[in-house]
Amino acid sequence: MSPATPDHTIPTPGDHLRHGDRLARLERVWANGPGLVGQLTAVNHSTVSMRVIVTGFAFLLVGGLLSMFMRLQLAWPGLQVLDPQRYAQFVTMHGTTMMFLFAVPIMGGFAMYLVPKMIGARDLPFPRLSSFGYWCYLFGGLFLYSSFIFGSVPDTGWFMYTPLSDSTYSPGKGADFWLIGVTFAEIAAVVSAVEVIAAVLITRAPGMDLRRMPLFVWAMLVTAFMIAFGFPPLILASILLEIQRAFDFAFFEVARGGDPLLWQHLFWLFGHPEVYIIFLPAAGVVSMVVSTFARRPMVGYTWIVLALVATGFLSFGLWVHHMFAVGIPLLALAFFSAASMMVAIPTGIQIFAWLATLWAGKPWLRVPMLYIIGFFVVFVCGGLTGVMLAFVPFNWQVHDTHFVVAHLHYVLIGGLMFPLFAGLYYWLPLASGRMPSESLSRSGFWLVFIGFNLAFLPMHLTGMVGMPRRVDSYAMELGVHWLNLLSTAAGFVMAVGVVAILIDVALCFVLGRRGVENPWQAGTLEWAVPSPVPTYNFASVPQIESRYPLWDNPEVVAATRRTDGLLGEAHDDRRELLGTGIQSGRPEQVIRVSTSTWLPILAAFTIAILLAGFISSQYWLSILMLVPLIGLFLHWAWTTGDRHAPAELEVAPGLRLPTQAAARNAPGWWALVVTLLIDGSLFASLVFAYFYLWLNAPVWPAVGATVMAWRPALVALAPLVLPLLAAWLGPVALAAGRLRTAIAWQVVAVVGGAVYLGLHLPALWAAVGAPQVHAYASVVWTLAGFHAVHILVAMLIGGFTAMRIRCGYVDGVRRLESRIAAAFWRYTVGIGVVTWAVLHLFPRWA
Amino acid sequence: MSRLRGMTLTRMCAPYALWALHFLAIYSLQGLACARQLGRERVAGLEIMTWTMWGLTAVILAAIAWQAWRAGQIRRALLASDDAGRADHARRLFMVVLCLLGAAISALGVVFTASPLAMLQTCA
Ligand code: HEM
Ligand SMILES: [Cu+2]
Repeated sequence: MSPATPDHTIPTPGDHLRHGDRLARLERVWANGPGLVGQLTAVNHSTVSMRVIVTGFAFLLVGGLLSMFMRLQLAWPGLQVLDPQRYAQFVTMHGTTMMFLFAVPIMGGFAMYLVPKMIGARDLPFPRLSSFGYWCYLFGGLFLYSSFIFGSVPDTGWFMYTPLSDSTYSPGKGADFWLIGVTFAEIAAVVSAVEVIAAVLITRAPGMDLRRMPLFVWAMLVTAFMIAFGFPPLILASILLEIQRAFDFAFFEVARGGDPLLWQHLFWLFGHPEVYIIFLPAAGVVSMVVSTFARRPMVGYTWIVLALVATGFLSFGLWVHHMFAVGIPLLALAFFSAASMMVAIPTGIQIFAWLATLWAGKPWLRVPMLYIIGFFVVFVCGGLTGVMLAFVPFNWQVHDTHFVVAHLHYVLIGGLMFPLFAGLYYWLPLASGRMPSESLSRSGFWLVFIGFNLAFLPMHLTGMVGMPRRVDSYAMELGVHWLNLLSTAAGFVMAVGVVAILIDVALCFVLGRRGVENPWQAGTLEWAVPSPVPTYNFASVPQIESRYPLWDNPEVVAATRRTDGLLGEAHDDRRELLGTGIQSGRPEQVIRVSTSTWLPILAAFTIAILLAGFISSQYWLSILMLVPLIGLFLHWAWTTGDRHAPAELEVAPGLRLPTQAAARNAPGWWALVVTLLIDGSLFASLVFAYFYLWLNAPVWPAVGATVMAWRPALVALAPLVLPLLAAWLGPVALAAGRLRTAIAWQVVAVVGGAVYLGLHLPALWAAVGAPQVHAYASVVWTLAGFHAVHILVAMLIGGFTAMRIRCGYVDGVRRLESRIAAAFWRYTVGIGVVTWAVLHLFPRWA
Repeated sequence: MSRLRGMTLTRMCAPYALWALHFLAIYSLQGLACARQLGRERVAGLEIMTWTMWGLTAVILAAIAWQAWRAGQIRRALLASDDAGRADHARRLFMVVLCLLGAAISALGVVFTASPLAMLQTCA
């Protein structure tokens, strides 16, 4: 699009005069509103991510509090701190909080804060979406904890195994609180994945091609893809179990042809990658801190990228190692055992690269580095016990004992908490503009480090002796009471340490010594941002030529603060980002993003009411809430485009770029691609569930159900040709400027979808009957329903696009929305055909 | 030149995708063999299913090798071309190296995953 990128940092004559005006304008355009309203409506990435981080730490404290009670209970055999039921509730809530409300979101928060700054962008490409994610996370967490108020706290473990969690064995509402609350909060994780992938692919600073991306950004990119593939299985499992609990479907119920192990498969299909979803961002933090404190570029940059990508893939092949004791054939276990050992290789590569960097550099032992050393020690121990656990016979020996509790905390706390605190102290001067107190922060570290090891090291022993996990007490005869007392006491030391750290950090924001900018003399772009951090990050979008621009060309800092570079001028008072090529990092487009708005919080709140209605079985309320919800989302979508946006803008003297609606790599397009990846993973998990149930069912289709006759099945499929045609010819018409025809094609697609639903669902009903009869009917209806929802959404998008063309938002040049509608239809038809084949062809053959 | 362009993110990830495919396939096949008695007859001393899984492993390894070979070709072309020093050039080389290393790791992964086949019966 552009010729060889010209150098825009040279001021044109007279420009310096306008600098003040331009800065003031940037300030105004990017500012959050004043007061509380401003806070509630803010969408800027710095603001939103700060909230995510604070909320994450709040949940850490709550989850930690629960663990203190558990530790008290375990301090001595036969104590009565928590009765068995409470203990089960606390284990469940502690595990759930730590995994879903602390570990994943807080890393998302770090990414949200750092990624745009590291890649030289002004904001994330979908600010409203990030804000929406935050509210979902907050409301989801509160929803889960409201179970304490209603006296039905989930108590079946953070893994919610069926049949323990089904309505027979968990009759109350506890499990529903878990399923709904956690799924609600997970929207945030999924949203952050979309956000990060799009940001990293298309909004990197000019010149930051793939081999110059900071390692934290690489780590987050891989993590985001892992979330996109890994969370859907869990979301699906939660939905299936909730449907079973609420509407009496039969996925996991043996008596009606279901299989409880299906839950475990879906759960661990998410659950193992989850460990790496937590670890990879932490590894990214380690890479950043290590190279800064070794004061030299990372040794083996390529190897680390390789390790990140390889871990991302390999970790999906390990899930069954959590199921070694459920009676799966040995050969299958061995595949997973082998893969589990294999994944140690990329992790080892990273560790060697870090050590080599420290070795080759002149390490500087400040607080962030202390945590890195803590990380090395603790994480390596956790890794070693992990390798032990990957051996099937040893696993059988210590399964469900405190040995596993020790391993898990060594990995999680070593692999997540230590790097997290390293990162916290490392980037604190950036976020606060001040320095934390060295003595307090050192004490915090030692309290945590010593407390942690004394608390969890003994558990290896208690576990091997046979102290069971998830059980509220143990026998005196086991002879582990002194060790447990030690664990409990040390647990409190650690808790004091964590609280001290958080106080230290909070104090730093008010009392800290005003720091110099870039106190660690780091080399990456986030440190070019002035302090206090302006909401737009960079006055001009930086251009870079190396991996550590601040080391290799300190000029960059000054250039980003002048307003005569890229996008220094805010056009039309709109917030603008610069879009660049995916691999090359060449300027490609101007991306206009939203300003503060009520939409995200309103949408999340509406969902919260909808879910409250659902859990209290006030279904009318839930259905009623769909109206404002759809309204809000339509309004949201409607306000994305800009009818008056010029098709091209001047980004810097002599450089004109298209705005996103007319650009090929528009963020909306990538949002769609990533969303479809996520959705595709959800769909694949559902198809997996179908085949898994089939594999374990004696008869298929179930007694009483028949396979639909050929004729109605084929007739039902036929109307799907219409949307396919429309998806192909609609955009062609639009590109040729024939707006009427383009609108007509949208209508044709909508009609095709409606006819499909009208024909398929009744015919299916006649053949299969009610979904409650049998797991077969349950899964058939879920597949059909899944597809039906897609058709409905596609129809909505089609109608919307038709309106947009009519109102002049979409035309022959600004084609983005028509491309999105067409792609969504193609996808919907695609999964429709697969669904159709699974429902109508497979049973004839099976 | 077109050959140089061929180095994409997708290609970079292809070896791992092949590893994943292999993993998924042998895990599913094993399930089918045990739950549905698929391919349990013995031929030349091994169950048909074991042969199938070995065959699949060989095919996947060949595919990974092919990916690596392609990447090697691109690398050679890059090294021979005279725009060394340009940003594009360095970036492509970076991706080629990643692809080659990825192929090595994936091949190792496939071998690792398949190795139990040599030691265990299909449904022990
Ligand atoms: C002050 C620090 C902590 C203490 C004292 C602590 C203590 C405990 C205890 C006593 C249990 C229950 C063991 C049982 O009865 O089976 C437990 C379970 C668990 N903890 Fe922690 N924990 C701490 C921090 C964390 C952190 C930071 C995470 C994750 C990021 C975490 C994740 C988990 C999980 C997932 C479980 C459930 C394990 C299971 O499946 O049984 N914990 N923890
Ligand atoms: Cu695992």
